[in-house]
Amino acid sequence: MSDASAFSFRAPTDESPLVRRALIGVAVLGLGLLVGAPLVAVFAEALKQGWLAALKSLGNRDALSAIWLTLTIAAISVPLNAVFGIAAAWLITRFDFRGKAFLITLIDLPFSVSPVVAGLCIVLMFGANSLLGGWLVAQGFPIVFALPGIVLATVFITFPFIARELIPVMIEQGRAEEEAALTLGAGGWHLFRTVTLPNIRWALLYGVLLCNARAMGEFGAVAVVSGKIRGQTATMPITIEMLYNEYLSVAAFSLAAVLTLLALVTLLAKTVLERRHADQIAATHRH
Amino acid sequence: MHIEIDEIAKSFGTTAALHPVSLSIPSGALVALLGPSGSGKTTLLRILGGLEYPNSGRVLFDGEDATGLTVQERRAGFVFQSYALFRHMTVFENIAYGLKARPRATRPPAAEIARRVQRLLDLIQLPDIAARYPAQLSGGQRQRVALARALAIEPRMLLLDEPFGALDARVRKELRQGLRDIHDATGLTSVFVTHDQEEAMELADLVVVMSMGRIEQVGRPQDIRARPATAFVRDFIAA
Amino acid sequence: MGRPLYQRSPMPGLGLSAGITLTMLSIVVLLPVGALLAKGVSFGPGNLWDVVNRERVWSALFLSFRLSFFAAIFNLVFGTLLAWVLVRYRFAGRRLLDAAVDLPFALPTAVAGIALTALYAPNGVLGGLAQQIGWKIAYTQTGILIALVFVGLPFVARTVQPVVEEIEREVEEASATLGASRLTTLRRVILPMLAPAALTGFALALARAVGEYGSVIFIAGNIPLKTEIAPLLIVIQLEEFNYDAAAAIGIAMLTISFAMLLAINLIQIWSRRRIGYV
Repeated sequence: MSDASAFSFRAPTDESPLVRRALIGVAVLGLGLLVGAPLVAVFAEALKQGWLAALKSLGNRDALSAIWLTLTIAAISVPLNAVFGIAAAWLITRFDFRGKAFLITLIDLPFSVSPVVAGLCIVLMFGANSLLGGWLVAQGFPIVFALPGIVLATVFITFPFIARELIPVMIEQGRAEEEAALTLGAGGWHLFRTVTLPNIRWALLYGVLLCNARAMGEFGAVAVVSGKIRGQTATMPITIEMLYNEYLSVAAFSLAAVLTLLALVTLLAKTVLERRHADQIAATHRH
Repeated sequence: MHIEIDEIAKSFGTTAALHPVSLSIPSGALVALLGPSGSGKTTLLRILGGLEYPNSGRVLFDGEDATGLTVQERRAGFVFQSYALFRHMTVFENIAYGLKARPRATRPPAAEIARRVQRLLDLIQLPDIAARYPAQLSGGQRQRVALARALAIEPRMLLLDEPFGALDARVRKELRQGLRDIHDATGLTSVFVTHDQEEAMELADLVVVMSMGRIEQVGRPQDIRARPATAFVRDFIAA
Repeated sequence: MGRPLYQRSPMPGLGLSAGITLTMLSIVVLLPVGALLAKGVSFGPGNLWDVVNRERVWSALFLSFRLSFFAAIFNLVFGTLLAWVLVRYRFAGRRLLDAAVDLPFALPTAVAGIALTALYAPNGVLGGLAQQIGWKIAYTQTGILIALVFVGLPFVARTVQPVVEEIEREVEEASATLGASRLTTLRRVILPMLAPAALTGFALALARAVGEYGSVIFIAGNIPLKTEIAPLLIVIQLEEFNYDAAAAIGIAMLTISFAMLLAINLIQIWSRRRIGYV
């Protein structure tokens, strides 16, 4: 390195310090207003009447049932999506067949469908007014305005999440290691467990994390299919809306704060995963 | 083991990778499939190993039809071009993989597996690297570990896809002799794919020159050199 | 001779993985979307048109797409700037900033909605400030725009970031040695390189904003003809059990978003070809 103190040399690929500072300033101010301020607002509103009021509102029966319902939905839909994501990624990256690009487009379809339209689709397919839905209700197994419908809506919204994380990773890793395991005599499950899974575990965890955050927070699609029955089909986001509309601000924001903490933990875990296992997680961030 | 390839053809989509080819590989021979890229040599090797299915034709092992055998049933020791070592396993675990993958009834006890792995490490002259991960090995070491892993399953034949392709020139020469020694010590029928005519001529008992999905000539190195059968063979071995 | 349907392979699990993939895809996505389209067919094109061709529906659709477009444009500029700042500059708090970009992905939309409303309502911190200069944010189209900017924020930044990381300094140095000023280099060399990725992010942000519901309805005020978004109209029709009308508006939304995505994909292919990136 040459002596920089003699005179200040600016590389031709750098912007002037003034421009640099201005750009950083715009970035910080913009993110502060758009992202930082709402984050602070959630906790400020929740704690407006102190810790006790906030905690008490969370102990409410409706709040507890909403938390339990949201956990149940995530516990069902995230594993479903993980199974789908692994199967789809295996199919797409380990076999050659016609129509692969079309299949990927179909898997991505939920990204470009409004959550409300997604909910609408599920109501039209499985609602009591439809052929299938009517029959299911008669069998005592209603889908819409009940848990299965909320799970369906959640799986729809988060459908591409895990597959999208796994596909680029599995393409990059190629088929050679699995082929090697085959020539060494390994059967399908054995090679999946001992060769594939260890190679994709961080990408899988990453996908599960994103999928879980979205599953717990989904609002639009769930609002349409749940019927918003208090204590039965009202998830945490739906309950937040109800409380907010009833001007129970502290209760609404306390519940919102719980979801915000979850989001922050998700972000933290995501950052750690990205730093430690960047090689195993796809570089493309499309959600 | 004697390998007989009978009118094997293979196409990917609409492009033909192999026009019907036939070839007889005598038991215990070290055979080179030699040709430029796209000549079909790797496809033929993968068909022998059961990693690719032919569109038509048969493969016979010791006179018995093996075309329908699964890749696991073939017990072909396969060495991949970039070795395909399991990167999350140690050298020991890599070599032991095939033995541990066996069903419980035929799986050797742990002590026996350890003994066999050590014997293979001695054979490839790397007795002390059992605890290392593939990323901690040099290219030449990786190649030898891949060879040991393939030998661990007590294969009926040895199939090697460009075994020296990923190595620099000096290591390449050293390992040629290593492969020859291991072949002679095990007596396994061995087939390796290469695009390097010098490598094929120096190492193999029998050289199969391929081009555009067809076999141009089969013969001992000195015969091919003395009497190239086609203009392609003459140009290719002169290069 | 046609291409075979699939290439036979010794890789295990074809039947199982294809079975799981196609079954779940059908039950979760294809059948429900098909049900929407079938509803449209049985309702008839004439009736569909009658439902959509009302002032309230047109104004909601127009509002949704117009504000989404503006929000995506804002994110296109701000997201590209963020990507540049986060990759090229080193400063205290950069990692925090980097993580903050993802918050809109992780934060539930309903939470974002009530938080933004609390901030920008006339009695909120920022809304109060704006009020003093006679500017109303919450319960106006400005409020909707802010919510849409929030939900679309990460898309452009995250698609452009890896591209900025891959730019070779030599290209910029070459530009400088040829006598170009820094501004010219940025405008003529860097920005065209980022354009395809930025457009991808733009398209994703746009698609997300058009369909957005949770973060918008709280801050919108939902006044018909003024601040009523298209997804809300669907919810209103559903609450009145008017499935035909809901389906009609849903189909209209789907059609317009697909048309927009198609257009943007074409622009992207064109710009990629022009720059020679594959």
